[in-house]
Amino acid sequence: MATEAKRVTDIGPPQYEQFLHPIIKDNYGKWLYHDSIKPGVLSHTGPAGTIFTVRCASPRLVSVNFLRDIMDLADKYSDGYFRFTSRNNIEFLLAKEENIDPLIVDLNAMGTLVGGTNNAISNVVHTQGWVHCHSAATDASGLVKAVMDELAEYFTSEKLPAKLRVAVACCLNMCGAVHASDIAILGLHRTPPRIDNNALPNQCEIPTTVASCPNNAIRPTSIEGKTTVKVDEDKCMYCGNCFTVCPAMPLADPLNDGVSIWVGGKISNARTEPMFTKLAIPYLPNNPPRWPEVTDAVKKIVELYAANARPFERVGEWINRIGWEKFFDMSGIEFTKYHLDDFRHAGTTYRRSLHNRY
Amino acid sequence: MADVSIEQLADDMFELVSSAAGQKKLKAGDLTKAMKEKYGDLSRADTKAAIKQLIDSGRCVYGYFGGSSIELPRVEGSANE
Amino acid sequence: MADDLKTPLLDELEKGPWPSFITDIKSMAGKNDYCKDLLGQLEKSYEDKRGYWKHGGLVGVMGYGGGVIGRYSALPDEFPGVSHFHTVRVNQPSGWFYTTDALREIMDIWEEHGSGLTNMHGSTGDMVLLGTRTEELEPIFRALTAKGWDLGGSGSDLRTPSCCVGPARCEMACYDTLAMTYDLTKSYQDELHRPMFNYKYKIKMSGCPNDCTAAIARSDMGIIGIWRDDIKVDQAAFAEYVDSGMDIQGAVVDLCPTGCITVEGKEINIDDSDCVKCMHCLNRLPKALSPGDDKGFAVCLGAKAPIVEGALFGSVIIPFMKIEDGDFEPMHDLIERIWEFWDEHGTSRERIGEFIERISLATFLEGIGEDPSPKMVKAPRDNPYIFYEEYYEEEGASASEE
Repeated sequence: MATEAKRVTDIGPPQYEQFLHPIIKDNYGKWLYHDSIKPGVLSHTGPAGTIFTVRCASPRLVSVNFLRDIMDLADKYSDGYFRFTSRNNIEFLLAKEENIDPLIVDLNAMGTLVGGTNNAISNVVHTQGWVHCHSAATDASGLVKAVMDELAEYFTSEKLPAKLRVAVACCLNMCGAVHASDIAILGLHRTPPRIDNNALPNQCEIPTTVASCPNNAIRPTSIEGKTTVKVDEDKCMYCGNCFTVCPAMPLADPLNDGVSIWVGGKISNARTEPMFTKLAIPYLPNNPPRWPEVTDAVKKIVELYAANARPFERVGEWINRIGWEKFFDMSGIEFTKYHLDDFRHAGTTYRRSLHNRY
Repeated sequence: MADVSIEQLADDMFELVSSAAGQKKLKAGDLTKAMKEKYGDLSRADTKAAIKQLIDSGRCVYGYFGGSSIELPRVEGSANE
Repeated sequence: MADDLKTPLLDELEKGPWPSFITDIKSMAGKNDYCKDLLGQLEKSYEDKRGYWKHGGLVGVMGYGGGVIGRYSALPDEFPGVSHFHTVRVNQPSGWFYTTDALREIMDIWEEHGSGLTNMHGSTGDMVLLGTRTEELEPIFRALTAKGWDLGGSGSDLRTPSCCVGPARCEMACYDTLAMTYDLTKSYQDELHRPMFNYKYKIKMSGCPNDCTAAIARSDMGIIGIWRDDIKVDQAAFAEYVDSGMDIQGAVVDLCPTGCITVEGKEINIDDSDCVKCMHCLNRLPKALSPGDDKGFAVCLGAKAPIVEGALFGSVIIPFMKIEDGDFEPMHDLIERIWEFWDEHGTSRERIGEFIERISLATFLEGIGEDPSPKMVKAPRDNPYIFYEEYYEEEGASASEE
């Protein structure tokens, strides 16, 4: 740049209408219906015509190289218009039906898959993991890759009873919405923070650090004349909230950090109300690069669900119908004391009826 | 509405941040509440404008430790340093 | 890729059918040291089963308190390319629609000034530019704003609002999610860029109760489309579904949660007075059924992930409202009443959902000036510990307030 432009701030994002395909612009708010053409391909029809959507997988963590390849295909097949979904899929918006199959051939050639629509596993929403986060108990991108390599056939087909949403979060901060997914993979720490008493007095505010603990496990203390904190380890549930406000209390513990599996959450209001995911497996080891224990556990749950749920039943709806005792029985997953809630409102999860299956 | 200029509010806020430095990280809300205590009823627009002026003047910067704070400028680096 | 870099563990993630982020990062490793050293550090994480990033940092662009996440390697001598690896959050366009021309401009800026790695998109909705140095932040910001783009939120501020595909490509949309996202983002630039809240505040907009943005689970303020009148029925289109051999009874009628659908021959009848707008029948029969004409949205407050007091779903605070003639003023009024009350009475790091649980829904509704409604609860209270504010004096019949 020859001359330095005036610094501008607070302009917000560009107006979205300039990014809408002409067919979309003309049908905006006037769509009549949609059709499913095949896995990964939808059509939407309105008074101004039909737009075809081809949906492909993305690792979410993508480079300018990947995106430029995608954009070359968008220029070739969809007049340069495309979008991303709330689950990080990429959608090409095609005016011409005859472009669908050549686009799919090109997408497969560049190493991605077309699918994720209707009764499929859509793309996995996930977090940063060891690629970029200071509090990660596991990697996220690697877990997703390992799990989806095993489950790819459920992305490219629509053979599940209903849609199945998988999410990965690499610690309890849950930057991914794993608390309302059909299957959630959640990294967790299992040991209390180790306090760096030399650094803590300089790096952290004691009252803020004490107040950060949801279980009142942190107390001020004095070591060699310096005020620091101590942790009542019996009360610590390794949530990492103290670490968020105080970097001198790291939780990373390669020996004990690992992964938990949760099931049965949903967001949509379809048929039943939104549900939280519930604990299935409290701990599996971190075993990079391919986390075989995790991929195996997730695949077994998916296959059990696929074989037993009724049409349109989400994982949580299926389990609610058959009962949790039957889910643990059928899955062979051990039910332990860790499955019993002991945090706020724990009692609301206790069974207070005799509606048991024997 | 209290009769006090945006400049005065920004100056008072800077005083607060300076005197708390090293002891407590103040948040935008702390500064706003302190100004309301001092001057009585203040509009949200005025306290927002005062904070914007405080930051834009370079006297203070935003920090982050779980929540956002307003601090004196310091040497760049990670929170671990 | 750089010849001297050996990543045997990461190489395992180049196998298999799912697109490989490792192959992709490797394609960049010959271009810059960010990607080369990111792979080196990640390989070490895979060996040691732990991350090597330091905690936070104090970086940003001038005047803003949000939009940049400071990140530094804990092993800067070993991996100097990622000694700084800051994130830049860029405010996405409504509905994540792009043209190749527009996104190419951003990619060119990013390749010049950063690692060339992105998240498309982050969990909140921003385009995430992943990995750059402090001295590049201001040049990136200037280059982005010159092309009409701005930063998103981070810290205790309004986070970048986001929305579903809405009326741009969905027949179920009950309000214009894209227009509202754009309006709120533009109207609250100050709140987005200058953290002034107790804690973060996320707004997500979904056009119908299918809730494709997970507003009910992931946003402090979920604005979810709904309609109040009858589902619109095209009986001819319904007859075509019957003729197609679809199992209407099993796939639709039996799954209606309130049993309000009956089918006689090729005709469908819905008792809309019992319909809870769950969307199942509309999802199954999109050509025959569509939302009514009296469309708007509900506002749900308080969803969040577990930190600090446990995960919450949003609760209905406004059962129904609508935007008329593109005038978003009623929405601004509501948002500002909520922020003002939360600003005044919330505590540091307290999300709005935790705030409402602490002070009670009744107190919150009073604070923002809304009346209670049975549409806001699963059921009325089942305990008798009621704080009565009115009672009769012994000597007189007049009510008194304490």
